[in-house]
Amino acid sequence: MMRQAVIGQFIPGNSFLHRLDPRTKITALTLYVIILFFAVGWGYAAMAGLALLGVVAGRLPLRYILEGLRPLVFLLIITMAFQVFLTPGTVIWHLGILKVTREGLVQGLYMALRLLLLVMTTSLLTLTTSPIALTDGLESMMRPFARLGVPAHEFAMMMTIALRFIPTLIEEADKIMKAQMARGAEFSSGGLTARARSLLPILVPLFVGAFRRADELALAMEARCYRGGEGRTRMRQLKVHAVDFVALAVTVGVAALVWRLRRGV
Amino acid sequence: MPEGQQGDTGRSGRNRRGGTAVVFGEMDRSDVTRSLTRVALIAGVYAATTLAFFPLSYGAIQVRVSEALAVLPFLTPLAIPGLFVGCLLANILGGLGFNDIVFGSLATFAAAYVTSRMRTPALAPLPPVIINALVVPAYLSSVVRVPYFPLVISIAIGEAIACYALGYPLLLYLSRHQGFRHYFGGP
Repeated sequence: MMRQAVIGQFIPGNSFLHRLDPRTKITALTLYVIILFFAVGWGYAAMAGLALLGVVAGRLPLRYILEGLRPLVFLLIITMAFQVFLTPGTVIWHLGILKVTREGLVQGLYMALRLLLLVMTTSLLTLTTSPIALTDGLESMMRPFARLGVPAHEFAMMMTIALRFIPTLIEEADKIMKAQMARGAEFSSGGLTARARSLLPILVPLFVGAFRRADELALAMEARCYRGGEGRTRMRQLKVHAVDFVALAVTVGVAALVWRLRRGV
Repeated sequence: MPEGQQGDTGRSGRNRRGGTAVVFGEMDRSDVTRSLTRVALIAGVYAATTLAFFPLSYGAIQVRVSEALAVLPFLTPLAIPGLFVGCLLANILGGLGFNDIVFGSLATFAAAYVTSRMRTPALAPLPPVIINALVVPAYLSSVVRVPYFPLVISIAIGEAIACYALGYPLLLYLSRHQGFRHYFGGP
């Protein structure tokens, strides 16, 4: 049951996308996702063009992108089926009570494309940004809200610690599972409910271990005088470069184009 | 060591609407650090179990094992931000894109908060079942326009199995176990 755990999807590199500030990438992705919902007709072509440009600018092997799309296949098929068969319009082909309409076909393709682009661009971000850079970016973007009570530093610190412990905890879960199997535990038989319940002897020890680690870590941090975000310096400083403005300008340009195309229809 | 240097410390007495403000309110520094690492490790367990176990699946019904942890806020308020951060990371590392990252995590956060306010253990697994079943199909169908209600049913069943078959026994076990009282009784 244990998957060959691929932690994060980050591929180190030095491409245009890799060198962008994480904040630029987060902003551009947010804008992209919002504008994707307003795209119509040729707007989709512009959005797809921008996504492909991203793949090229990230110098990413197409294999990784396709790999990321695999969990989507089921959802894509269902979406297509619903749109193709259930949209009223000009019938172009029918089999018994199932009718394929031209409108349905077009609609289905658009929906599938929208879903593909959404997942593809998100993986462009996670493939070219290390989780730590991503966390730094989020912290920096949330900092203005700290005055309103948003715990920006704590949030980023929690994400960083959690990220660091994910591989450790997966390994521990694996060990516990083997230990329980050695004691005769059965994890892959019975119905869904029985299988879910059989995981209880894994979760409980995993939790005890996690809490113990948490307390040890807190002690270690205090011993090194950790006392929150105020006045803390960092080894890697985030800096905005000219490339960031180029990337943002391109994204805003495409967004404006998509918006114009919508108004024109 | 000066008190109240954090943005949220000290303010939380008035601002008891959930999240870290509630968690870190009125503690001294070493307790804040310990709470922070505990939250982080709860998040780590959520993300690790999400990534490590294939969703148990029988066709249309998928069970995300880590959702069993959604009962934890009943025991400790630290689990509210813990589940939020965990879900955020899990969805960033292997999710279905931007909407899943933003809205899926917010749904988990809302469910965790409601769970923390439940009165009896038997009701604790209910909020995640209901909130996820209503919210997840809403943003899924906004992307792909699949019908809303069949998705609600399928997600509700999956969540119910995770939360009641695994989460509820977990909750009972942890709340009775002496060793855990030490952790959940506050730092």
